[in-house]
Amino acid sequence: MINIQDIRDTARDLLAKGEVRAVIGWRAGSRGMPAEPVVITAPEQADELVWDPTCYHNLALHLVEDRKFLAHARKTAGAPIGIIAKGCDARAIVVLMQENYFKREDVYIIGVSCEGSGMIAEWKVARQLDGAVPTAAAFAGDEFAFATAAGEKRLPAREVMADRCLECRNPFPKEHNVALGEDKTGRALEAPFAALARFETRSEGERWEFWQRQFDRCIRCFACRSVCPMCYCEECVVDSINIAVAPETTAEEKANRIRWIERSAVKSENITYHMTRAIHLAGRCVDCGECERVCPVNIPLRLLNNKMEREARERFGYEPGASIGGPSLVASFRDDDPGAFIR
Amino acid sequence: MSMEKILDKARLNDWIAALAKGGDWEVHAPALEDGVWTYKPVGDAVRMDHPNTKQPPKGFSFPQREVFFSFEQIKGEAPRLTQVMPDPKRRAVFGVRPCDGRGAVRMDRVFADNVNDPYYQARRKNVAYVGLACNTPPAATCFCKSVGGSPVSTDGLDILLTDLGDRYHVAAVTETGKAMMAVAGSPLADAAAADRKQVKQVHGEAVAQPQRAVNNPEAAPAKLKASFNSPLWEELARACIGCGICTFLCPTCHCFDLNDEMTGTVPIKGNRVRTWDNCQFPDFTMHSSGHNPRENTAARLRQRVCHKFQYFHENFGMLQCTGCGRCVSECPVGIDIVAVVNKVAEHVA
Amino acid sequence: MSHNPPDNIYLPKLARIAHIKEEVAGERSIKTFRLEFVNGDGFDHQCGQCAMLSIFGRGESMISIASSPLIKEYKQFSIMRVGRVTSAFHDLSVGDTVGIRGPYGNSFPVDDWRGKNLIFIGGGCGLAPIWPVITTAVAQRANFKNITVFYGGRSPRDIMYRAELEKLRSSADVHLSVDKSEEGWNEFCGFVPSNVMDKAPPPDNAIAITCGPPIMIKFVLQNLQNLGFKDEQIYTTIENKMKCGIGKCGRCNVGKDYVCVKGPVYSWAQLKNLPQEY
Repeated sequence: MINIQDIRDTARDLLAKGEVRAVIGWRAGSRGMPAEPVVITAPEQADELVWDPTCYHNLALHLVEDRKFLAHARKTAGAPIGIIAKGCDARAIVVLMQENYFKREDVYIIGVSCEGSGMIAEWKVARQLDGAVPTAAAFAGDEFAFATAAGEKRLPAREVMADRCLECRNPFPKEHNVALGEDKTGRALEAPFAALARFETRSEGERWEFWQRQFDRCIRCFACRSVCPMCYCEECVVDSINIAVAPETTAEEKANRIRWIERSAVKSENITYHMTRAIHLAGRCVDCGECERVCPVNIPLRLLNNKMEREARERFGYEPGASIGGPSLVASFRDDDPGAFIR
Repeated sequence: MSMEKILDKARLNDWIAALAKGGDWEVHAPALEDGVWTYKPVGDAVRMDHPNTKQPPKGFSFPQREVFFSFEQIKGEAPRLTQVMPDPKRRAVFGVRPCDGRGAVRMDRVFADNVNDPYYQARRKNVAYVGLACNTPPAATCFCKSVGGSPVSTDGLDILLTDLGDRYHVAAVTETGKAMMAVAGSPLADAAAADRKQVKQVHGEAVAQPQRAVNNPEAAPAKLKASFNSPLWEELARACIGCGICTFLCPTCHCFDLNDEMTGTVPIKGNRVRTWDNCQFPDFTMHSSGHNPRENTAARLRQRVCHKFQYFHENFGMLQCTGCGRCVSECPVGIDIVAVVNKVAEHVA
Repeated sequence: MSHNPPDNIYLPKLARIAHIKEEVAGERSIKTFRLEFVNGDGFDHQCGQCAMLSIFGRGESMISIASSPLIKEYKQFSIMRVGRVTSAFHDLSVGDTVGIRGPYGNSFPVDDWRGKNLIFIGGGCGLAPIWPVITTAVAQRANFKNITVFYGGRSPRDIMYRAELEKLRSSADVHLSVDKSEEGWNEFCGFVPSNVMDKAPPPDNAIAITCGPPIMIKFVLQNLQNLGFKDEQIYTTIENKMKCGIGKCGRCNVGKDYVCVKGPVYSWAQLKNLPQEY
């Protein structure tokens, strides 16, 4: 099990030596739990860092934000930026590097292994704690320990872990500069794609009815897009005409921009949005599950992305986030590809 | 105005049926669908054991999408505009929590100020809110008391229900509420002295429940005003991912967009549509020239917080935030408006 | 019109384009449109107010009314081609019908300025919002003392209202300028704020009204202050993205003020107390 002090020492040391200009990590939230993302820039801030089963956030997103911030301010980075990364966070960083979003030497990865555990799903915890409000959560072997007003409560990790973590086989950040915690690659608390497999036992009619209901509920807050490290496009197909407008954008360009999707949060537009996003994430989604976690209306978005991921794995043996140097799914082809269109 | 009744819980559905039949009300109540508490038209069973709904009831008077008018124009000729007004059916919304009732008060102010908004008013005049007092322990994110509210507030409601175990205490707040209680076939019975005593006690206990708090809310407008240029906003917004959860789920956020949605090109046919919009989206304030007065997440977080705790207060003499806590519990990265206001106040002399 | 009840603020009135004039060509071209209400169903306005113009199927844009309130037969708008709706306007022809609702916003307190010297300072398309004040003051010439107009563009081809400005010389002092001179230009060469310094209008009993690009306004302001103008003597108009025009859609606010209601006209004494979010 990882000692939080090791994470803090590593971050403090890197900042003190000037090897990184900042470290992206987690600190305790304003209500104790859940943790929240934080960017620390001074060695003495390292003591704020935490590591617990509420460190849900895929911090690779904040690497993207950092790069966008630098580009906007027309600043150069100087020293690399440090990031504490779980297995899924590290896979996202690999995809971003594979897509040349930033270079390997720009990022210092402090890998943290989830080992045999993972992150909680708050709704599962709430169901089990029967009204008690937890103010802190901690790893405790096969269990999670929750601090509540009525004292410590322990719950079996597997009962309250997020689905994405139960299905995760790569809880260890393979790509790292330094790694903490045990490498338990290949562990499987649940079969991969278990939730998807369960869903697919439904008939086509039931599935269609299900998705209609889900998409009808979408309020288009775009949290799924905002939280996704892979959704880094400056200009997104769903935005209104003004996004990505610069002083040099001509009136012609602005006037001729097609509105692919109307602003109205109605089923037709919502479906187009979610389908477009799913296709755009094919071969790129690392199943961090953040889109599903943040959705305020509980749309099970992992099912969509898992479907694409499984297709890629079964048809092409492709696993997103496995290698920086390897070919990407949609930007490469094989000579023996049976599809004629590619030639 | 005082009118108090007692309703046997087993007869709640009888009352709802009477409202539908005798009062021509379409009744809505919270229902749990796919793990989300949502207001739905009532079938035969009403549950009112919800914590709070995921979305506030603001959509009853301000739906996320509505058509203002349709247009049709043959090129070179005058267009034909056809106004589309809302369906005038009366809707009774059950189970509205007091924070959301107070949200309705604030929405009403915005849409009546300066010029009446005809679409909002057409809907609002036909909506009645049947509130439900919060007499179970507050959620970890509730803070209604520190922003002038209370778990038993009647502001913005037509009726307030209080759960007394096997029955509801039913108190009229408005004339509409009175009429609903007196609807033909109503199973409501007169409240006995013991009921009145019990409800007082229950309310007292509810109000005494500890909550998180905005410290010194009276000072918040001035403190925020003094903080406008503070570098603190950058730090507070550092984790913000720029999604629209906080505002779309807010009972008092009223910003909107107007767009033309085409349904045909020859002749030009379409609808002018109002949709919710969101001050956290970058294009919200961006000029056509590309200039953006609120160009980063820090400026946009500041706008949201200052709107709730400063600008609205300057314009209407009340805080806009009602302490429902949705923006706190639902924020993907834990941005907490209570902590933000408190931190800013601490940092301003 | 029967389908157009007076209480529905969002339903535009219809107006016919009676005249189009090309003011400035090029990338950000400007055209002036003269709109006449269909069937006389219109509204009166005051100097400085705006109107929301519609092209059905494209959307709405808030544009300042560039004609004097004294003219009742039509309303004039000078529209720069910058985006979706304004580009569509540039593709319209005389006789086409558009939507118009308004008027929105506050106005210049022209009546309070009787007996004063008026100094107008405009740059680029910023002449349009102050043009109604200029033309109203000139139409009521006896009510005011000296009227001075500074106006500049990037080049001689970027000067809008060229013929009108020439006509104006009979009743006002007109000082034109261009950033870059060309052959045949024999007026001031340089930025508008420099031209103001060069002519140095005295602040006594004067009101200065300025509108133009933000950077121009910034230096005009500095220079006016150097010339001794007090904050209460300087007026400008600001703009923000708008959708409703009635203080509800929430995007044009500068602090507590919705520009569509409390603005667009501000004295510098008022504006300096608001956050700089425009």
